[in-house]
Amino acid sequence: MLHAVDDVSFEVYPGETLGLVGESGCGKSTVGNVLMRLLPRTSGELIFNGQDVFTANKTDSFNIRKSMQIIFQDPYSSLNPRKTIKSILSEAYEIHKLAKGAELDKAINELCDMVGIARSLLNRYPHELDGGMRQVVGIARALSLKPSFVVCDEPVSSLDVSVQAKIINLLIDMQKKMDLSYLFISHDLSVVRHISDRIAVMYLGQIVEISDTATIFSNTMHPYSIALLSAVPRVDVDTKVRRILLKGDVPSPMNPKPGCRFAPRCWMAQDSCYDNTPELTEVAPGHCVACHFARQSRAKIKDAAVRSLSDN
Amino acid sequence: MNSKLIFKRMLHSKFFMIGFITCMLIVIFAVVGPSFVVYDAEKNSLTEQFLKPEWLSNGWQGHILGTDELGRDEFTRLVVGARYSLAIALVVTVCSAVLGTILGMIAGYLGGAADAIIMRMCDVFLSIPNLILSIAIIAVLGTSTTNLIIVLIISSWVQYCKLSRNNVLVTKKMEFVSASKCLGATNSHIIFKEIFPNITTQLIILVSQQFGNVILVEAALSFMNLGISPPTPSWGNMIAGGRTYLTTYPWLCVVPGMALMITVLAFNFLGDGVRDVLDPKRT
Amino acid sequence: MSLLEITDLHVQYRTERAVGNALSGLNLTIEKGEALGLVGETGAGKTTTALSILNLLPSAGHVISGDVKYEDRSVFEMSEKELLDLRGDKIAMIFQNPLTSLNPVFTIGEQISMVIRAHEKVSRKEALERSKQLLEQVGIAGSRIHDYPSQLSGGMRQRVGIAASLACNPELLIADEPTTALDVTIQAQILELMKNLQTQYSTSLMMITHNLGIIAELCEKVAVMYAGNIIEYGTVREVFKYPLHPYTQGLINAIPNLEGQRDRLVAIPGVIASSENLPEGCPFHPRCEHCSEICRAERPALIKVAENHYVACHERSGELL
Repeated sequence: MLHAVDDVSFEVYPGETLGLVGESGCGKSTVGNVLMRLLPRTSGELIFNGQDVFTANKTDSFNIRKSMQIIFQDPYSSLNPRKTIKSILSEAYEIHKLAKGAELDKAINELCDMVGIARSLLNRYPHELDGGMRQVVGIARALSLKPSFVVCDEPVSSLDVSVQAKIINLLIDMQKKMDLSYLFISHDLSVVRHISDRIAVMYLGQIVEISDTATIFSNTMHPYSIALLSAVPRVDVDTKVRRILLKGDVPSPMNPKPGCRFAPRCWMAQDSCYDNTPELTEVAPGHCVACHFARQSRAKIKDAAVRSLSDN
Repeated sequence: MNSKLIFKRMLHSKFFMIGFITCMLIVIFAVVGPSFVVYDAEKNSLTEQFLKPEWLSNGWQGHILGTDELGRDEFTRLVVGARYSLAIALVVTVCSAVLGTILGMIAGYLGGAADAIIMRMCDVFLSIPNLILSIAIIAVLGTSTTNLIIVLIISSWVQYCKLSRNNVLVTKKMEFVSASKCLGATNSHIIFKEIFPNITTQLIILVSQQFGNVILVEAALSFMNLGISPPTPSWGNMIAGGRTYLTTYPWLCVVPGMALMITVLAFNFLGDGVRDVLDPKRT
Repeated sequence: MSLLEITDLHVQYRTERAVGNALSGLNLTIEKGEALGLVGETGAGKTTTALSILNLLPSAGHVISGDVKYEDRSVFEMSEKELLDLRGDKIAMIFQNPLTSLNPVFTIGEQISMVIRAHEKVSRKEALERSKQLLEQVGIAGSRIHDYPSQLSGGMRQRVGIAASLACNPELLIADEPTTALDVTIQAQILELMKNLQTQYSTSLMMITHNLGIIAELCEKVAVMYAGNIIEYGTVREVFKYPLHPYTQGLINAIPNLEGQRDRLVAIPGVIASSENLPEGCPFHPRCEHCSEICRAERPALIKVAENHYVACHERSGELL
């Protein structure tokens, strides 16, 4: 029995970006795929604008599709290599029978102007475009139906730094222009910090901490989030980071043991952590942490941290 | 891949050029040839039995490749036989490619029970030797051109089915298929508009490789009198007819045999060439 | 004498479609015990540089001119036997993908032993014993020596890769994006391990990465690559604090911060120069806002602007001379 994601609950408000961070295998992409109904769920519900998505009838479900879209990680496999950019972008209009002929051309031109695709690229094939431009096409496709909620599944992870900045800026601009809500899934904390209003940290299929962005970065409480934050290599040569090195690897999500799932790698685990599963509890308004010792964690950082690499 | 690069590769591939040119010549020979021949392919002329090939000493009016045991012009029979062989191979290849590809795509895309049933069918057909299967079917249905075509389709669709299933399995995991689903696309849209264009290259390669094979099997069946039955000429039954006179009038076997060999080789060359030209992994 | 010296190296990739200039006049030296970071984006020529050092370029790659000297001996003039001695024994390489760089049909102990036995005459048993010690050094229990790569996690496999590369006490370790495929917390472990090993054995290190943070933590010197050439070189402190080349500045500005204000990111306009179609003059000029006449015409040379700081830019070097 594989519990990819277990008992995850969160809300995304209109016009907001919720960042979902975690390492590989923590189930963050699974969450995105279940929301888009690309993967089946075992239990739970998804309410979109007051409507239960999983139990909606066929017509409703078809219409909900229009309002929920996804941007994928890999700009190489997310565009059909056999189709021109134009036919990739017109797909949504054809499926939903929104526009034809001259009307379709007009809609596509507007879409291209909005996201910044040169019209001369419309007759090209995906492999003739660079990675960044392909990702822009992926974004344009997701926005073609004017959705209100977009899942961004690691949209910049496979891009170079200089291109990544362009895509992040585009996503932020589009959000303002179209009043979009994002679920921004990424393993890169600095990118998530940049774009998110609130951030949820996931570990082994569960949300361990959720709060607004500023709090996550200034007052992290879950020992995993603290370690994750300290592990990011800093460019700033003057910042000394106290690094907490976690023991071992992320265990497999197959048959998780009872108790706190992070306990075997935790730097402040106690015997009771292996017996009692911590609930996600509110420690401050809007700040929820799933740890028995959340309130003590920050005081203990100094003892756990190794001398930072840049101290040498 | 752009057409310019493909064209460049075509010119550079020896296999492709040799195969392509020879195949074109054979096709022209089979299509145009029968309207130019002077003799009747099926009419006996017992006064002209076993004439030696006189090549071009009498021009196109003579028995260029000699005559057979019933005095029929060997060259005429070769040309008419070629037309039958190619027509049958064409029909069989198209039908089995369409049938196999559709079944394979359904199996690969839907998975589950559909996949299991179709794949077990493939296993059954693969586990019985083609020739034995063909003999059994013709024994039941009787000998006729239609039955021959049916038999050939039955023995060649499996290849297409397996190939397209495997390719669909790879392609359907690509993110653009998920993207289509998220846009609300139906299964048939995804299968035919998104996935199918991505497996065509592999299919074209297989078709060109299988074409020669079909001609060979058809000849084998006709040789055993299970295919095209005399007096209608086919390379297979021409070889069978000439077999008795192999030592005395060898051209009766050698001529259609050579024709068969050259044709099958040409189509195999073309198949290999097409594979080289269209191989996306080549840099 | 430097440990490794690359002078004016030009490397081309010739394929059916096009000719790509992967490296165009690369100069680089690595001293004994030095940790050098090689940073750049896709297609900058980082991996080509590493492969040229080991004389391991794929068949499409051709060295047009220039030389790579290891301890004053050109690697292109070495015999097969000398090269085998160079690879693994003197220079070891850690690869990006820990999944594919280990052979799945041999145990990790066997694979490390193979490296040892290829370079030294020791018995199978002795080699296995040494492998065990190496594994323990990189933080894997010696009892796992008979495990197959598939039984290990990604981070552990990369540790095995590091153990294998350390097997013959190399003088130079080339790490090609060793942590790119790993998670952040695992990456932190590996970086810590590499730092410790480097100080312990005083091995020279060439760290190839696109992540400026990793270089800031692990290296003393940094070389920034763009379109097959080094455009800025110096100590990490100098280059990261006072970047001079517009590309380096752009790269540093494009990274979202973990601290401070969340400003709009500054993307570098345009696209990375393609090796098949390099612009005339300075390869960065189509993307550069300081571009002037000379930039379009002439390729700038790497010029010393301060102690431990070199830059290849007409604008910058002119300013400071």
